[in-house]
Amino acid sequence: MQNAKCKMQNGKRGDAGLPFSILHFAFCILHSAFHLSLPLLPERNPMKKLLLTLALTLFPVMAFAQTEIVVWHAYRGGEKTAFEKVVAQYNAGQKAIKVSSLAVPYDAFADKITAAVPRGKGPDIFIYAQDRLGGWVTAGNTIEPIDFYLDKKLTDRFIPSTLQAMTYRKTIYGLPLNYKVMTMIYNKALVKTPPTTTAELVKVAKANTNEASGRFGLVYWYSNWYYHAPLFNGFGGGVFDAAGKPIANNPGNVKSVELLMKWATKDKILPAEPSTALITSLFNEGKAAIVFSGPWFLEEVSPKIQYGLALLPTIDEAGKKPMRPWMTVEGVYIAAPSKKKDQAFEFAKYLTDTGATKILALEGSQSPANKAVYNDPQVAANGVLKAFRAQVDRAVPMPNVPEMTLMWGPVTTAMNAIVQKASTPKAALDKAQADMVAQIKKLKK
Amino acid sequence: MTAQPQLTVEEKRARLSGEHPATPPPDAGQPGPPLLHRVSVAVLLAALLGAGLLHWILVRSFKGATEERASRAAMIVARAAADVATAHGGEGEPLAAAMTAWQKEHKTVRAVRVANIDNRTIEASSFPEDLKEGEVPRRMQRPEKPLYDLGQELRANIEANVSEGNKREAEVSVERKPGGTLLIAAPIEKEGAVAGFAQVLSAPEIVSVSPPSPLFALAFALGPFVVIFALSFVWRGSNLLLVAIAALLLLVALFAYRQWAVKSLVDGAQEAEQRFAERVQREAEIVARVAPGAEANAKTWDADIHRTPLKVDPVQAVEGQKDAIAGAAYGISVLSLALLLFIGLGAAHRTGRALAQHRQAYSYIAPALLGMLFLVFFPFIYGFTLSFTGQTIYNVNQPLPEIWTGLQNYKEILGDFTVIKQTAGGGRAANYENFYYTLFFTIAWTVVNVAIGVTLGLLLALILNTKGLRGKTAYRVLLILPWAMPNFITALIWKGMFHRQFGVINHVLAIFGGTPVSWFEHPLTSFAAVVATNGWLSFPFMMVVSLGALQSISADLYEAARVDGASRWQQFTSITLPSLKPALIPAIILSVVWTFNMFNIIYLVSAGEPAHSTEILITQAYKLAFEQYRYGYASAYSVIIFGILLIYGVFQNRMTRATESIA
Repeated sequence: MQNAKCKMQNGKRGDAGLPFSILHFAFCILHSAFHLSLPLLPERNPMKKLLLTLALTLFPVMAFAQTEIVVWHAYRGGEKTAFEKVVAQYNAGQKAIKVSSLAVPYDAFADKITAAVPRGKGPDIFIYAQDRLGGWVTAGNTIEPIDFYLDKKLTDRFIPSTLQAMTYRKTIYGLPLNYKVMTMIYNKALVKTPPTTTAELVKVAKANTNEASGRFGLVYWYSNWYYHAPLFNGFGGGVFDAAGKPIANNPGNVKSVELLMKWATKDKILPAEPSTALITSLFNEGKAAIVFSGPWFLEEVSPKIQYGLALLPTIDEAGKKPMRPWMTVEGVYIAAPSKKKDQAFEFAKYLTDTGATKILALEGSQSPANKAVYNDPQVAANGVLKAFRAQVDRAVPMPNVPEMTLMWGPVTTAMNAIVQKASTPKAALDKAQADMVAQIKKLKK
Repeated sequence: MTAQPQLTVEEKRARLSGEHPATPPPDAGQPGPPLLHRVSVAVLLAALLGAGLLHWILVRSFKGATEERASRAAMIVARAAADVATAHGGEGEPLAAAMTAWQKEHKTVRAVRVANIDNRTIEASSFPEDLKEGEVPRRMQRPEKPLYDLGQELRANIEANVSEGNKREAEVSVERKPGGTLLIAAPIEKEGAVAGFAQVLSAPEIVSVSPPSPLFALAFALGPFVVIFALSFVWRGSNLLLVAIAALLLLVALFAYRQWAVKSLVDGAQEAEQRFAERVQREAEIVARVAPGAEANAKTWDADIHRTPLKVDPVQAVEGQKDAIAGAAYGISVLSLALLLFIGLGAAHRTGRALAQHRQAYSYIAPALLGMLFLVFFPFIYGFTLSFTGQTIYNVNQPLPEIWTGLQNYKEILGDFTVIKQTAGGGRAANYENFYYTLFFTIAWTVVNVAIGVTLGLLLALILNTKGLRGKTAYRVLLILPWAMPNFITALIWKGMFHRQFGVINHVLAIFGGTPVSWFEHPLTSFAAVVATNGWLSFPFMMVVSLGALQSISADLYEAARVDGASRWQQFTSITLPSLKPALIPAIILSVVWTFNMFNIIYLVSAGEPAHSTEILITQAYKLAFEQYRYGYASAYSVIIFGILLIYGVFQNRMTRATESIA
């Protein structure tokens, strides 16, 4: 444990090498000294406690027959409890591998991986969404390709699009564990039958909108590119083409933003300046009829509100094509510098199997990427899981190219300019495209 | 350094401080043996340091050039092996035979293998570890996963290079193995796609040209010393002049050594390059025997890891090393010159004496000094170094010298004057991302905020200072509240208040018949919103400072003024304001720095909207680093911010001193 903590301390941008290592080394010595001296302070029988501490410190050395696999994840609350249950179950089920899990705060997770793993200081396995995948592969020595381990039986286990999210440059880098996807969430008291087309959506929303009393028919963070994804994907737009080149101003994107602006200015069914706090409070006060959001939103919903989930409607303006949200997939990745890759892969297989994913689904409220788990009667009876499972068939994996991290700035600026009517959709997206091209060029020179 | 002779200054200083009233300082500088001795010691040490470092770099350059040639040779061999394998279709029995025959012709090749990634097979191999697992050709086993991954990586890299139209990814994999051997994998292409690779383990074969002996460096270093040493016996002039002569001699010697070093490097390269051409020729002959036809590619074998053929101009080949020596020579000269001056002018002597004299004091501050070194100076120097590189998210794992760009970042930031740009429609608009616009905005933001804070704070302090005011304590507590709350919470509350539909400010406007304002839609309203938030946060500090100072003004002054018939306004301008000055000026100076870097308010309230027009320098630097991932560029930006505040700091130091002398 002390060791694991020391490993973690070596976070952030440790590119400086030696001086950082010296600092880190000094810290670890101090840290260990502190741990060893702790039991001496308040205990009545200090000698006994010291011996115990020493024994615990030496324990991993003595138990050399068992391979220890360290897993980093960013789960909290129910998700964490469910995940730890799966780990405990795995450890109890066999003797050869001992898995220990460590929850790392989500905000720091990606940076810690970037800094620690390539220097061989990270975990054996880590779990994270696919949007950083390309970046880590490009940086090198971070994620192990697992194509070699895979066979058809294993790949058939997953919903195909989730496996596609784990693929970068035709190589598979992780086993998909869970996915997160947006869907339509409506207040059952206000909406009797959820709309299935945009025409119906506008109708229902208009009936539930009264700007003077602060009620809105459709509430979502439409100025955010992620929440706008169902529309632009529905119109056949996107941010990167198959070769990874930016296409922010393609006609599909422009049309999707024009439809959004029609909703905002002509139909007036959307509130101004949306933010997560505003959306949550409107929905919980019963002032929002329909929200487009994902599983994270459900945790915020007040128990007083009866909500239902339904598929995002089809878009009449795009030839009745469905809205296609972006899907993020949490992958189980094996760290490239790990010395225990085979054992790590065994655990990754176990983690994505039906038994483990059932626990994650039922107790952690996560949507597994495993197909078979949805045939389980208990899972099938869960309306929320079922709704997300239905939505995922219409979802598009969020791109995993390294340029993804650069996309947010330009498209956010563009969307803000558009919804504030400071710029036309076409002009704003043209500028976003030019900015992305320029920034990528600067990064890759 | 002053123009006066050293000794007079020293004498004056000693007399003024009264440190050594009885005896004059030992190095008072009368022409005599001990002093001159010091200059010759200085020149010897400085020259040894300079020449030693240059020699070290020269040896490294020789080694680097040799290693480069060795890997080029190994690359030729591996590319030839791949072409032999390609000629035999990348799989099958004849291929294995051809590889064996090919290896026989090479003394330096330890082992060769051909892997096919489409079939996941090892087609031919002379690696002992492969043969241990079973006869080839066969399917790859689990321990051979790295081979499969390597093949996939080469395939992905080549495909990426083709689709991007530039050669950014490595198309050949080079690994250095212990014992100086090189393991190189070159792709085998079939119908335009990568089907596998040939991997060759070979020992370095090009004989290195040995670097010059360190005696040359010693000779160059001893030159200036000998001259100064000889001169010291006859010298009767000033010490300073002698040091200047020593410095000149030192620089001349270092420059001469540099020229000589570069020349020897180029000579060595010329010799090695000749042997190299012969080597390629010989390889082509071998390949022609094993796989007739494949030798046609021989010209492209001598290439870099992107398979871009190299120019075989010997001077070009050592260009990198030459630049390294030339560049390092400047740094080294400065370093040895500094050492020469440090010792030669007696600074070393004085420092040593001070350290010995105040031993106790220095040992007390040593822990704090060490802490500062690691926690403040080290990150600072690292950031400063980073600002001279082109580090981005794509190359964080590369060593800094490889991505060194010199002053490029600074040029880009400071050299871009397009504050006004042409829009697509032919009109003109402010370029909000330009440095000078952001600087202008930051200054405007600082001035307006400090002005509001001071005015409001002073006004409230004057009111609170009214004699006989009831509930004074309660008012004071209430007015300090904004200061007591964490500023990011205040920022988020204000952001909510500025919401167009639900914000309280627009509601109040509506009550008075105004139309709702989209606060963050226009630069000016956005500016008003952030200034309001920051004004709310900054007046309590100014109020507290002024209130304290107000209470310390003696009532007698006002009484005397009243007796003389001064009006209230005259009392304020002639008594209150001048008495507040010593307290207010430091507070203003501090609050200027705080406001200049007030990250939270800008980032949380306006977030730079609209279109980065309300960005201050520090939020812009943050966005460059953590949204655009241009670490080097963002570091340069931060260094410039530091520079601005440093200039301001020097300026404010003068100001404070001025006020101190008044008070």
